[in-house]
Amino acid sequence: MYPEIVLTHLLFGIGLGVVMHRSDFCMAGAFRDIFITRDFFRMRAVILLVSVTSVLLYLARTAGLVDSYPPSFYSSPSLAHLAGGVIFGIGMVLAGGCVMGTLYKAGAGNLVSLCAFSGLLLGSLLFAWAYPLHRSFVEATTLPGGFTAMEHLTGAPGLSALLIVSISILYLFRGKERPAWTSNAFARGYLDPWKAALIVCAIIILSFTLTGRPLALTSGYSRLASCLAERLLPEAVTLPSARSDSVRLLYGMAMDPESLSGTDPVVLTQVPLIFGIVIGAFLSALRLGEITARPAPPRRQLLSGFAGGILLACGSLMAGGCNVWHIMGGLPLFVFQSVLFVCGMGFGAYVGSRLLLTTVLQVERCAPHGNHSY
Amino acid sequence: METIAIDIRGQICPACLLITLREINTHKTVLRDGKARLVIKTDHRDATRTIPSTVCAMGYDINVTGRKGYYEITIGYRK
Repeated sequence: MYPEIVLTHLLFGIGLGVVMHRSDFCMAGAFRDIFITRDFFRMRAVILLVSVTSVLLYLARTAGLVDSYPPSFYSSPSLAHLAGGVIFGIGMVLAGGCVMGTLYKAGAGNLVSLCAFSGLLLGSLLFAWAYPLHRSFVEATTLPGGFTAMEHLTGAPGLSALLIVSISILYLFRGKERPAWTSNAFARGYLDPWKAALIVCAIIILSFTLTGRPLALTSGYSRLASCLAERLLPEAVTLPSARSDSVRLLYGMAMDPESLSGTDPVVLTQVPLIFGIVIGAFLSALRLGEITARPAPPRRQLLSGFAGGILLACGSLMAGGCNVWHIMGGLPLFVFQSVLFVCGMGFGAYVGSRLLLTTVLQVERCAPHGNHSY
Repeated sequence: METIAIDIRGQICPACLLITLREINTHKTVLRDGKARLVIKTDHRDATRTIPSTVCAMGYDINVTGRKGYYEITIGYRK
């Protein structure tokens, strides 16, 4: 069974890598573009992704294809989800991509994203040392009552999907102008983000129906970081202060190991997904002739990518998952911790955008003007 | 006609659009007089969407050519 699980997630990853690279469907870009250029083009695709996933998950549940509902793997919300979202939002703008964005851009040969990936690994290790403090914060700020999702409050199946679709429609059609869904991008093999969003929806639903869980990456790169640390700094990993609670984090989060007969589920699912995204983006870029030597970006941008990667790791570990876990998994189910994470992520993207403009790029904000509308 | 070449390959998002706008503002006079054109080299796929749509709305003509490993965006003022 294990080779099938690994292969399935590798194929999911390759599919995601190709689709993300072709469309440049970057969630960091979706949030950041709103604040920097007032471009809502990619955000529309994110909203489409969340609302269609929400409806499809409800239908899958009604058809008996999804067992775990309301989701047991999303805990009660705490302020750590909000704070983690803020840190993650700042990090993704500085890194030039969210976790998935970092992976597909690194796969396509972007040096800033490679720096961001190094930062992700280092950030995972750094956070392990602060884990006991994080646990105390979570325990002190967790909402009592055991309410994790909208359905726990209302008890009405389907209400979450209805609410999400209603909010999405209100947002998308709030203005007088019809929102643009397609663009005249000149890039070879370009895929419009709305099409990418629907393909990603299909992969999310497949993941839910085959494994009972949404896609996730956070524990995967934490595991990669811990493997590297074990080889490079074995003393640090075995220090008493790195044990106890932080070991759980450093060696991957619990992911229902019983269902996989005790075999490490992170290695079986998330690690192949990570490698798949990188491979998929690389193959796509290679096919399009985009893998070539290119000049090194300014040092300030490389540092920004690295620092952003550290923040991405710390934010996602603090919030129990990155945007893939929360936006592609929790938000469509109206999970409260994911709602908090996304609110924090939006604010973080605003702060990150200011930092990027003033500190990294050192240019003024340039909103599109003239008779053009996104 | 003078060619002002800007190579922004490998740079972080959204540097391509912002640097292009900055360069257009810097060289606005010669671009509008038709004495120069701006040639941007970028490997950022989304820039082939954002730069043309933004710059066209500002009254400039644009031409995008796919090269090996990057895209070349030529910007000149629309007469």
